[in-house]
Amino acid sequence: MARQEIKSAPEQGRTYTIEENELLDDGQRSDTMTINMGPQHPSTHGVLRLILTIEGETVLKAVPDIGFLHTGIEKTAEAKSYHQALVLTDRMDYLAPLSNNLAYSLAVERLLGIDDEINDKIKYVRVILVELQRIASHLVWLGTSALDLGAMSMFLYCFREREMILDVFELISGVRMMTSYICPGGLQAELPPGFDAKVREFTQIFPERLQEYHDLLTNNQLFLERTKGICVLSREDAIAYGATGAVLRGSGEPWDIRKVYPYSGYEQFAFDIPVGSNGDVYDRYLVRMLEMEQSLRIINQALDGLPTGSYRVQNTKIVPPPKWQITGSMEALIHHFKLFTEGYRPPKGEVFVRTESPKGELAFYIVSDGSAKPYRMHVRGACFANLQVLPRMVEGTFLSDVIAGIGSIDIVLGEVDR
Amino acid sequence: MVITAVSTVETVREKFPDAVVETVEFRNEQTIVLKPEHLVKVCTHLKGKLQYDMLETVTAVDWLERVPRFDVVYQLLSLPHRCFVRVKVRVGLRGEEHPALPSVTGLWPGANWYEREVYDLFGIVFTDHPQLVRILMPTDWTTHPLRKDYPLSGFDLPEPHWGGQIPYDTDPGVGGTYQQTLRTSEGRELNESRSQVNPQQEPGTSKRG
Repeated sequence: MARQEIKSAPEQGRTYTIEENELLDDGQRSDTMTINMGPQHPSTHGVLRLILTIEGETVLKAVPDIGFLHTGIEKTAEAKSYHQALVLTDRMDYLAPLSNNLAYSLAVERLLGIDDEINDKIKYVRVILVELQRIASHLVWLGTSALDLGAMSMFLYCFREREMILDVFELISGVRMMTSYICPGGLQAELPPGFDAKVREFTQIFPERLQEYHDLLTNNQLFLERTKGICVLSREDAIAYGATGAVLRGSGEPWDIRKVYPYSGYEQFAFDIPVGSNGDVYDRYLVRMLEMEQSLRIINQALDGLPTGSYRVQNTKIVPPPKWQITGSMEALIHHFKLFTEGYRPPKGEVFVRTESPKGELAFYIVSDGSAKPYRMHVRGACFANLQVLPRMVEGTFLSDVIAGIGSIDIVLGEVDR
Repeated sequence: MVITAVSTVETVREKFPDAVVETVEFRNEQTIVLKPEHLVKVCTHLKGKLQYDMLETVTAVDWLERVPRFDVVYQLLSLPHRCFVRVKVRVGLRGEEHPALPSVTGLWPGANWYEREVYDLFGIVFTDHPQLVRILMPTDWTTHPLRKDYPLSGFDLPEPHWGGQIPYDTDPGVGGTYQQTLRTSEGRELNESRSQVNPQQEPGTSKRG
């Protein structure tokens, strides 16, 4: 009798609403089945395990099980100096390490009270890099989530363009992924010659490549059927569960930290926030596709207006003095020695600094007790909150739509588990 | 009515004079420190009347020497008014192993995972939480890693006898069921002889051959 109590909601396409009490502890239901999806499932985008209760093809209950990639980054950071803890942030959202670096650096700078010492050159370069990183991260999302839905060629095309961005990162820092290039107090090194040309090469090629992606997917009937009206998330649910980024904007809330609390000079650039209306997989797809265009706009503006200046602040209590000074000045030598043996000591206090990472709102909560190590570093990762909302999306849909749903959230388990 | 972080702090001070321990401003961020018993009441007001509709994060800070020992930190964000405040409660009496706090999942369902994380890593219990189980650590873990008295790199175990293995009667923090079967390269089991092992004896030179 309890079997057909799932009520259909035709206005939301193929989704259903389910009463909570129908799902649990119903020993009478004979044809429900509990299956494991993950943690080694290729379409869970990492080591995510979903415990799904299904009846036929319909998912009645989905319980995400996380923690397989828990590396204790917050604990480790408590034992590192502020400069050393920077490299830990690379390893969280490993598809967007520069965005993590930026969020961490902004938090430490706010803690130190040196926000206004950051010059425009540093801000512009940071903006260029994190916007490139946003495109790179979105490309991985686009490739993998389209691959999950059967569009194999998308994966290859997206990684081709991502390779160009990684080349830029390799040029500036010598490393393709774990760059640690943005650091508290500025940047690790001066921009190399050829940076501008390399980025422009990408920005010139990318618009037509983006058009290719649109041609392949946006009006593709197969893709539309897998994404339109699938895994609908209402705006109220998104806010109540703390979902941010494209998940929140896809549900119709124009919330972007870059506009609301501009950081790192974002108020100087003209860009729009794409907003969806239905909150389904397709809207989240479109939001991210349009975001890439906007990122390109920001990069072009920043490149055109790139000011000259120092690549880090002049405060030698926080950044090391230049090498030539160390050999000639006793004071510079002492500063250098103190920085690398002990580090700097921010005043007692706590800050919560939020940024818009490719996945959503990435915030660092850092508590200082006046020592050279963060007393507590908490990371409010976007993926953690966005993943929590997954059961709201997939319960009542078909099993195959769960895969579309996971892909549309764009999770990185390194950030979920930290 | 325009609501800002500063006006929120004033409103809470006015409306709940008994609940507020202190308010702090640092780097333009407002913190309201509340008494734990008034937490839900004040949060209901913040959510309902002042439209703090998003809970960004819940976390904790362990001040090992202090009484009360823990800060539990709630970051609230108001989307309509574009402002944020930090609400803090202090819990943990001297010697209290698992301090308890009321859960705010009734107000913000998103608090669910964050409170599980705080329980997992700090051992703070949230009463009337729908499903308070560990989230990041394995479910049979017995300790709380983000506490300041938790070692950074493993437990301080006695000197191992056999090539760096953990003595199998010592709990490394994962409960009593931790057992390993140790074998020599020939496949002989070493477990039964390990209780009478002589620390001076060279590995692999057991008299039983």
